[in-house]
Amino acid sequence: MQEQENNSSPTGFNRRDFISNAASFSALMALMGGVPLHAEVATNAPAGAPSTGYSTVSAPLNFGVIGCGPWGREVLQTLALLPNAPVVAVCDSYEPMLRRATAAAPKAQSFTDYRQLLASKDVQGVVVATPTHLHREIVEAALAAGKHVYCEAPLANTAEDARAIARAAKAAVKVNFQAGLQMRSDPQRHFLLPFIRSGAAGTNVMARSQWHKKESWRRPASNPERELAVNWRLNSATSLGLIGENVIHQLDMIRWLANTKPVAVSGWGSILGWKDGRDVADTIQAVFEFPDGFNYSADASLANSFDSSYEILYGTFSAVMMRVTVEDGSKAWLFKEVDSPLLGWEVYARKEQFYKETGIALIANASKLPPAPKPGEPRPPQPTPLQHSLANFISNSGIVGKGIEDFIANYGADDLDGMREYITGPTITSSRRSAAGWQEGLEATLAVIQANDAIRKGHGHRVVFEKGSLEL
Amino acid sequence: MKMNKKTFPSRLASLGVFGAAALAALTTSAADTVHYKSRVGSKVTITGTSTIHNWTMDSQIIGGSMDVPVGVEFDQTKAALNGATGGKIPMRVEANIPVASLKNGHWEGMDEVMQQAMHAAEHPQIVFRLSEITLKEPHAAGTPFQFDAKGDLVVNGVTNAITMPVSIESVSPVKLKVVGKKPLKMTDFKVQPPVKASVFKAGDDITIDFEWVVGRPAAAK
Repeated sequence: MQEQENNSSPTGFNRRDFISNAASFSALMALMGGVPLHAEVATNAPAGAPSTGYSTVSAPLNFGVIGCGPWGREVLQTLALLPNAPVVAVCDSYEPMLRRATAAAPKAQSFTDYRQLLASKDVQGVVVATPTHLHREIVEAALAAGKHVYCEAPLANTAEDARAIARAAKAAVKVNFQAGLQMRSDPQRHFLLPFIRSGAAGTNVMARSQWHKKESWRRPASNPERELAVNWRLNSATSLGLIGENVIHQLDMIRWLANTKPVAVSGWGSILGWKDGRDVADTIQAVFEFPDGFNYSADASLANSFDSSYEILYGTFSAVMMRVTVEDGSKAWLFKEVDSPLLGWEVYARKEQFYKETGIALIANASKLPPAPKPGEPRPPQPTPLQHSLANFISNSGIVGKGIEDFIANYGADDLDGMREYITGPTITSSRRSAAGWQEGLEATLAVIQANDAIRKGHGHRVVFEKGSLEL
Repeated sequence: MKMNKKTFPSRLASLGVFGAAALAALTTSAADTVHYKSRVGSKVTITGTSTIHNWTMDSQIIGGSMDVPVGVEFDQTKAALNGATGGKIPMRVEANIPVASLKNGHWEGMDEVMQQAMHAAEHPQIVFRLSEITLKEPHAAGTPFQFDAKGDLVVNGVTNAITMPVSIESVSPVKLKVVGKKPLKMTDFKVQPPVKASVFKAGDDITIDFEWVVGRPAAAK
C-alpha cells in the first residue's frame, strides 16, 4: 500500500524554471576551494579560440517516481526541467493523485502498484517519495529489482527500518543509492565547506537554525481511511514531525560543515497553533550537544512564519548564515567580528544588510553572476537544491551502472568482492558528484529519531547518543 | 581461431588431406599456447596538459587477453627468457580500455567532455593489438623482462601503428604484469582537444601509462 504525500522540503519552495547553467571552470575551481571570489582565473588560453562545445551533462536516466503527493509532484516538475531525466513511470495507490502526476509526466506509464513499476525494464532509477513509514518496503524491493534508488529523507521513522534500508543499500553494490539530503548536492554549500573547515570562521562557538512556516500540514480527507493515509504526518505512529521531516536537513548541514557528530540531544515540543486532534508537536525546540561544548539549537514551528528558515554557524572570527529562498536559491553570508583577520577578498564582495548587521555574500561562481535586476524586473529563478540533488543522482547512477557493466564485461560477474572494491574504490568515488549516500542518510535519520524521542517526552528531556546509535 | 584438443580428432576426420598441413600449423600454434585473461589489479593513467592545469584520467579496467607460447616462462629471476628465439616471441595480445572507465576525479563534467571528444558512444573502447614483440637483451636477472612492442592502437575509431617499450614479469605463479608507457597526440586519433573559449584549452600531447595484470587458470601447464 503506497501513499502519495511526503513533504520534506526545508523551505516548502515551489517549482522554479531552470536556467541552463553548465558548470564553468571558475565554479569548478571554486569548488576546489582555490579561487578568489572577485576575479576570473587568469589563463593563457588563446583569446577567440572557438569552444569545442562539449557538454558536461551526463547520459540520461529513465525515472520511475513512486509516491505522487505534493512532494512527489515537486520531484516530477523538477525532473521535467532537467535535460537528461525522462520520467517513464509514475506510481501512486490513490488514482486522483496518479492522474495529477501524469499531468506533470504525460509520457509516463502509470501504476497503482509499485511492484509493477519495478518490474518495468524501462525504469532505471526510482525516486521513493511516499510517506516516510512506507519507504522501507519499497526501497528494499527497488534495490532487489536492480534499480538505482533515490530515497527521500528521513529514510524511515524507526531505527530498525532505517538500518534495514542502509543495509540493503550497502549490499546493493551494482546500483546507486542516494538519500534525499539534497543540500549535500548544493554547489553553494560545497563552496562553504573548505572555507569553514579551514578555520576561516574561527573555532566553532555554536550553531542555530530555525524552520518557520505557518501552515497546518493537515490535508483534506474524504473518509477515515484516507485520513490515516493523507495525514500521516500528524500521527506520532507514522511521523517524526518537524525534526524528522524538516530540521533533518539543517542538522545534517551543521554536522557536515563542522565535521562533528552529536553526543546528546534535549527536546521540547508543544501543540500551540493547530489543536485539531493531532498528537505531533507543531512547535519544537531541540538542542544538540556536540563534543567540546559546541551546541546547536534548532527550533521549528508550523504556527509562525517570521524570518522563514536558515542555519547559522557561529565562530570566533565570524558567523556564517545560510538560506535557501525561492527568489535567490541557495545563499550564504559572512558576518565578521571586529577583531577577525583580514581575508582580503571581502572588500570586493557584495554586501547585504540584515537587521543591523552587514553580511558579506559568500557566493560560488561570483564573477559569473548576472547583474542585479532593475527595479520592477523579475529576478531570474535559480536552480533549487532538489534540482542539483536529482542531477547528481543521474550522474552517479550512470557512473555506477556503466562501471558495473564495464567490470562484468572485462572481469566477469563472479568476482563480487572485486566488483565492490572497484565501485567503492578511489577512482570511481572521486568521479561521483556530491550527494548523500546511505551512510549520511542513516546518521541523520537515526539522530532525528532520537531527537524526536526527546521532543515527545519534552521539558528538555535529554537523550544521550549511545555508542553505535548513529551507525549501522 | 582457436581449437581445443577435444575437437581435433573430429576436425581432422572431416577435413581432407589438403587442409591437413594448414591444420597442423594451426593446431600447433593453438595447442601450444597458454591463454592469459585480464585480471583485476590493472590500472591505466592518461596524463595531459591544459592552459590551466595538468590533468589525469585513471581507470582500473584493462580487458582482453594474451596467448603465450608454451615454454616461454617469464621467470625474471633468471637472466634468460626460455622460449624466445631470436628475441621475438610469437605472442597474441589484444587489450582494451573502456573509455567510460577513465575518470578525472577533480573537475566535474570532464569525464563527459572526454567521452564526447573520443566519441565513446560510437567507439566505446581503446584497443591495442600486438603485431610483434621483441626481447631487449641482455636481461638483468631480478628485473622485469624488457621488450619493444609493435602493434595497432585504435582510439576514436582511428588506427595508428605504434611502437612502445613494455616490461613483463611474473607477479604470481599464474599471473603476469605488463607495464608500459607511450606518449601520443590526441589529434593523431582525430580527437579534438577540449576548448572553452578564453578559459581552458587542453593540450594535444598526452601520455598513457599502464599496468596490465593477466592470469591463467591454475591448472594450465
